[in-house]
Amino acid sequence: MSLLQVENISKSYKQLQVLHQVSVDVRPGERHVIIGPNGAGKTTLFHCITGLTPIDDGKVIWEGEEIHRLYPHRLVHLGLSRTFQKNNLFGNLSVEENLHLAIAARKPYRWQLLKSLLAFPDLKEETESFLEQWEITALRGVLVNNLSYGEQRLLEVLLALASHPRILLLDEPTSGMSPAETAQTAAMIRRLPRSVSLLVIEHDMEVVFSIADRITVLHHGEVIAQGKPEEIRNDGMVRHIYFGGGAKIHA
Amino acid sequence: MTLSILSVQLLTGLAYGMLYFMIAAGLTIILGVMNIVNLAHGTFFLTGAYVAFSLLSNQVSFWIALPISVAVMAIVGIVIEKLFIRRVYGKELEQVLLTFGLAFIIADAAEWIWGTEIQTLAVPSLLDTSISFGTLVFPVYRLFVVLVGCALAALLWYFETRTRIGAVIRAGVDDRAMVSALGINVGLVFTGVFAFGAGLAGLSGVLGGPLLGMYTGLDSEILVTSLIVVVVGGLGSWRGSFIGAILIGLIETLGKIWFPSLSMLIVFLIMVVVLIIRPQGLFGRGVTS
Amino acid sequence: MTRQIQMLLLLVIIVICAPWIMTQYGLTLATEIMIMAIFAMSLGLIMGYAGMVSLGHAAFFGIGAYTVALLGPLLHNVFLLVLCAILLSSLIALLSGMVFIRTSHFYFLMITLAFGQLLFALFWQLKSWTGGADGMKVSVSMDLGFGDIFSPLGLYYVMAVAFLFIYVLLRLFVQSPAGRIIKGVMENESRMIALGYPIRSYKLLAYTISGGIAGFAGALYAYYNLFVSPDLSNWMFSGQVMIMVIIGGVGTLLGPAIGAGLFIILQNFISSYTERWSMIMGILLVALVLAGKGGIAHWFAYIGSMVRRMRMKKDTRTKPKEEEVSD
Repeated sequence: MSLLQVENISKSYKQLQVLHQVSVDVRPGERHVIIGPNGAGKTTLFHCITGLTPIDDGKVIWEGEEIHRLYPHRLVHLGLSRTFQKNNLFGNLSVEENLHLAIAARKPYRWQLLKSLLAFPDLKEETESFLEQWEITALRGVLVNNLSYGEQRLLEVLLALASHPRILLLDEPTSGMSPAETAQTAAMIRRLPRSVSLLVIEHDMEVVFSIADRITVLHHGEVIAQGKPEEIRNDGMVRHIYFGGGAKIHA
Repeated sequence: MTLSILSVQLLTGLAYGMLYFMIAAGLTIILGVMNIVNLAHGTFFLTGAYVAFSLLSNQVSFWIALPISVAVMAIVGIVIEKLFIRRVYGKELEQVLLTFGLAFIIADAAEWIWGTEIQTLAVPSLLDTSISFGTLVFPVYRLFVVLVGCALAALLWYFETRTRIGAVIRAGVDDRAMVSALGINVGLVFTGVFAFGAGLAGLSGVLGGPLLGMYTGLDSEILVTSLIVVVVGGLGSWRGSFIGAILIGLIETLGKIWFPSLSMLIVFLIMVVVLIIRPQGLFGRGVTS
Repeated sequence: MTRQIQMLLLLVIIVICAPWIMTQYGLTLATEIMIMAIFAMSLGLIMGYAGMVSLGHAAFFGIGAYTVALLGPLLHNVFLLVLCAILLSSLIALLSGMVFIRTSHFYFLMITLAFGQLLFALFWQLKSWTGGADGMKVSVSMDLGFGDIFSPLGLYYVMAVAFLFIYVLLRLFVQSPAGRIIKGVMENESRMIALGYPIRSYKLLAYTISGGIAGFAGALYAYYNLFVSPDLSNWMFSGQVMIMVIIGGVGTLLGPAIGAGLFIILQNFISSYTERWSMIMGILLVALVLAGKGGIAHWFAYIGSMVRRMRMKKDTRTKPKEEEVSD
């Protein structure tokens, strides 16, 4: 009884097969982490799920309905939201203004032509509560380009949360972070309510094992293992790949 | 409409199509390689024709005037690229405005030098005759233009598929640093491409002289037509320009027979139809924006 | 907010008092500036807030002007006539936008140019309706309900009020949800998609509004000039209004209006000395591009932010966000 079901999707660019018969599902409330060496196709998987990249074969099913042929922007209204591996923010706007845009996306007044956006009280309230909840009220007026990398990464996640999604796709949330920032981010992820299911791409094994309910291992575009963290940790093939690739799986 | 008149119209349409191909090829290659929409391209066409006109007026033979005009336009292209275009690489709005401004300057300069009266180029005596196939009679000059167009297409095909620089250009110069690292002087390639495009426009202008004439405003008209050809054919694809130009040349000429005041509308509608079906043009690849 | 109201008041005062210090000739110039300011602001909207560079915006100006010219004999009510012009240009903007906006920005540029030239060609060719290259006279009277206004001063005030009206509307629009969303689309399109916005629809909205305002300017022009010609849709005219936007400053609301003023004054001044205004305009544009510092309004913003920076402490945390619309 999954929320999101990716069924046997395949994607290739000319001769290169990037994804082959990949199946992943996310259950309500679950934290499902996808791991795999670089080039395994993880971000492509996200692009396929969110409709940025058309799939050659297979289906993506959300709450029983096929969504892989929808326009990407429709997904937010269905309850799916994503972050990007490289920060994709509004650099010339303030933190507050970034949040405004994110929150307004599902508001009925987003086609209003004359009344000022700031004149809508619910927008201001939601922005306030967001800022308070994540303890960044002091940063509200700062230009995003002036934020630290870790702060930008946090905002990246917050923008995706602003639409109150039922599932959040996090693409390498801790990429490029210092150990301190990484720990902070992992803590933040653990803080997220179970009303939001998570599908996370992650490289840092400590983070993976501290948040995952289930893990899927992707290698050369194929799923080579899927299951609970302990199972994955003890899986022979996975250890082989990771030892061969130089990363260690103990956490 | 007799067959013989129709066939001459078809030949004329084909000839016009070849002219459009020559000028559009330059435009689309410049766009594909340098990411620049050269709005001054129409003025290159017109100026090339005017230069030939001045030479012809001074008793220079058409066959000498032609290469000289092309060379002059190529040199103008080199100068413009080095002095102006170079300064705004990568900045798209600036590039548009720059070539826009240059278009005004060159067009006005042309009007200043050569006046506002309509001029034409005389068809070279060698080609000033007709060939008959049975009852069909064809003006040789138009056949000549078609031939030159096909020769150009063959040349481009050879260049693209058989030479190293052609391969580079085909691959696209998206990452200049990387291409530089391959040992290719990107600046030289850019200057060369721009000069080549300008030269082609000049060639087209000279060849078009006997057919279209030269007048104030021709530069805008021919620019618009070439832009439409580029859009229909697909950004960066000279093959697309070839097909698109022939298509447009034929339809425009035939359209002029039956709907003289609406021929431009018809051409425009073709573009709209193509865009609706295939927004990137017939041979266009996805654009890196 | 108060700063913006201050700005508006200042503008109103300048606009109302200007005639007192001008000659008769200056007054006609000022009237023309008001009309062009509206036109320039409409282009500034799509260029600076939606990130769409159109080289055929004069098409809508021409549509507005010719609508008044052609329907003038049938419809005598000013408001109705102008409304028709606005509706028609908006409609054509909507329809053409639906096809054009799906394409990449290079194509968009080229297609809008072609579209403008298409209209130019149509106005030229359909002689029996439009008078062709010779243009046509406009026989309407600016009767707003209290008599025919034909004095230069009266016309000036009508156009000035129109300008202020559009300015206020646009000012409200850019702060509205739709306006901010459109700006967001220009800032980061992929992020806006990921946030759930149908970006094409918003771009279309901006384009339609912009076309309608340009048509409004064209209609006003018909009343002012009492003569219209195909050149009103030519790409040269599209280019001129683009220069106005650039001189004034892309991305600001009032910049294009200022640019319109400067451009027209310059054009009139230089045209009285030489016929080569076209070339000089080109040189001006090239010089502007190569100098690369943005437009007049940007200069003001630049100086303003430098002054602010000098007054503040170095703590980046407490630095207030810079107002992107500095007027």
